[in-house]
Amino acid sequence: MKKVLVLFLVFFLPLGAFAAGKEVYVFNWSQYIDPEVLELFQKETGIAVKYSTFESNEAMFAKLKILKKDGYDVAFPSTYFVERMSRLGMLKPLDHSKLPNMKNLNQDLLNKPYDPNNAYSIPYLWGSSAIGVNAKVVDPASITSWDDLWNPAYKGKVLLMDDVRDVFAMSLRSLGYSGNETDPARIKEAYEKLLKLIPSVKVFNSDSPKQPFLNNEVVIGQIWGGEVYQANEENPDIKYVYPKEGATFWVDSMVIPASARNIDYAHAFIDFMCRPDIAKINCEYVGYATANAKAQEMLDERTRNHKAAYPDKADLDRGEFQTDVGDAIMIYEKYWEMLKTQ
Amino acid sequence: MTRGSRFRNFAIGSPMVWIAVFVVVPYLIVVLFSFLTRNPEGIVTWILTLENYRELFSPVFLKVCMNSLVLALGTTVLTLLLAYPFAFILTRIDENIRRFLLVLMIIPFWTSSLIRTYALIILFKANGLLNTFLLSMGLISEPLSILYTETAVFIGLVYTLLPFMILPLYASLLKLDRRLMEAARDLGATSRHVFFHIVLPLTLPGIIAGSTMVFLPALGLFYIPDLLGGARSMLIGNFIKNQFLTTGNWPLGSAASVMLTLLMVMLLIWFFISTRRVHSGDMEAVR
Repeated sequence: MKKVLVLFLVFFLPLGAFAAGKEVYVFNWSQYIDPEVLELFQKETGIAVKYSTFESNEAMFAKLKILKKDGYDVAFPSTYFVERMSRLGMLKPLDHSKLPNMKNLNQDLLNKPYDPNNAYSIPYLWGSSAIGVNAKVVDPASITSWDDLWNPAYKGKVLLMDDVRDVFAMSLRSLGYSGNETDPARIKEAYEKLLKLIPSVKVFNSDSPKQPFLNNEVVIGQIWGGEVYQANEENPDIKYVYPKEGATFWVDSMVIPASARNIDYAHAFIDFMCRPDIAKINCEYVGYATANAKAQEMLDERTRNHKAAYPDKADLDRGEFQTDVGDAIMIYEKYWEMLKTQ
Repeated sequence: MTRGSRFRNFAIGSPMVWIAVFVVVPYLIVVLFSFLTRNPEGIVTWILTLENYRELFSPVFLKVCMNSLVLALGTTVLTLLLAYPFAFILTRIDENIRRFLLVLMIIPFWTSSLIRTYALIILFKANGLLNTFLLSMGLISEPLSILYTETAVFIGLVYTLLPFMILPLYASLLKLDRRLMEAARDLGATSRHVFFHIVLPLTLPGIIAGSTMVFLPALGLFYIPDLLGGARSMLIGNFIKNQFLTTGNWPLGSAASVMLTLLMVMLLIWFFISTRRVHSGDMEAVR
């Protein structure tokens, strides 16, 4: 029995047991930082980075929820998880005086509804989901609204995200509501509108929505701006349209979990990530838009002016950031299941 | 205690500990969670309930189960129809060619099935290898729509699971006593009669084993229908995944997992009973 216990300890307590020297524990999406940056950080500050990755916000959330102390110093949740985690007391407030490089950030991405005054989070990479079209088949100028997806001309050629929130946000916006609606009647209305779209849908894909476009399987649909930017290296005919109702925006942010072991090192790491040269390295490695205005200026001209990656201010102001819908997610999921069992 | 017995204890004990730690304990947690209540602020609340199981008896979940069952059953029938003649021929050809063919069948397993599924996309997509070839030959004027259809899903599932049907069938066809077939022919039976009255009943254990080995994985494989079928219909696997990752409803997801396991256990029990019945039937026939 004792042996089994020892085995358990060896397997489940690798953290904490070996804490020595200067270390910062970072928990990030996989493939979401240039490994070179971690080495540079250690070289300049003498703080070693202990790096772990996750594949979904929910997995990250569950792990942070379970760790009460000696957990990670920096984590990278997406937009509305910042809101949920701060509400649940899972985050430490940031000390902005320890983050002088914050001044480099894109001011349009600060002080958003999911984290007023950026009390808990610093934006890292960001992007949008809007309408992608294949210009060989569909004239991009003729597409102005989410409603164009319902056009019967595109029957069997439409792509939707395989994500309940993204699909419903689109339908809700086209009805003139918020994409973060919690009113059951309005969610139902969006569901009824989506019912009419389902027969047109050829594929649901949110892992890599550019693929069905590149494969000529679809001609119009929802897509991430970053995916269009990447797809254009292979096929310049895939265009990105910000609909007049507004696109959905997301931000992946840096936060300090409540279970962090070293708040100072965490601040040092976040500030380092906000340095323009470092942000540029990460942005080029990951391929999504940087939230660092100074770094954006340093990018090559084609990238920094690509509208799919960096929308102009009007498109950004028209758009909406996803926020936490709380228990209404159960209503969304119920209708999603109904849509998918038609 | 002798050296030999210590080694034996170790050899048996270490996999048992492994299974206990990484299979039994996590599974017991799943069973436990299936009786708890969802906690929107965390993971679960310690309130015991049967509500999760009651919720599974909704029309939507039944539809989800039906989708999965139809897909798994269709795949089983198709693999059986394809694998049986192949396994039969395999037992009747030169041993060297047979070994070669068996090796060919195993080679795809050296690559992850996920990667092989992506390879199928490259083959079937509108501007993929198959369509480009057919277009250049002038056999078609418009690209065939294969990807993101049910056909693609069945091709993907059958392709991935075919070896699991062939191998048990091959084993039971190999054991088949040729003399019985010759005797039947000598007594004037047609080929059809020989097949349906001699070969088929004697290879029934292989058919049942193969069908189980295809049907059960087909029930749970949701990435193939997602990738090749365009994720347009929800399967049990998708349902479970969404409960954990979208709604954070771990108890309902756990309950659905337990139901899926129960379904599989029942099928396995049915499989054991029917094989035993077939075997005792054999004995009577011989007598």
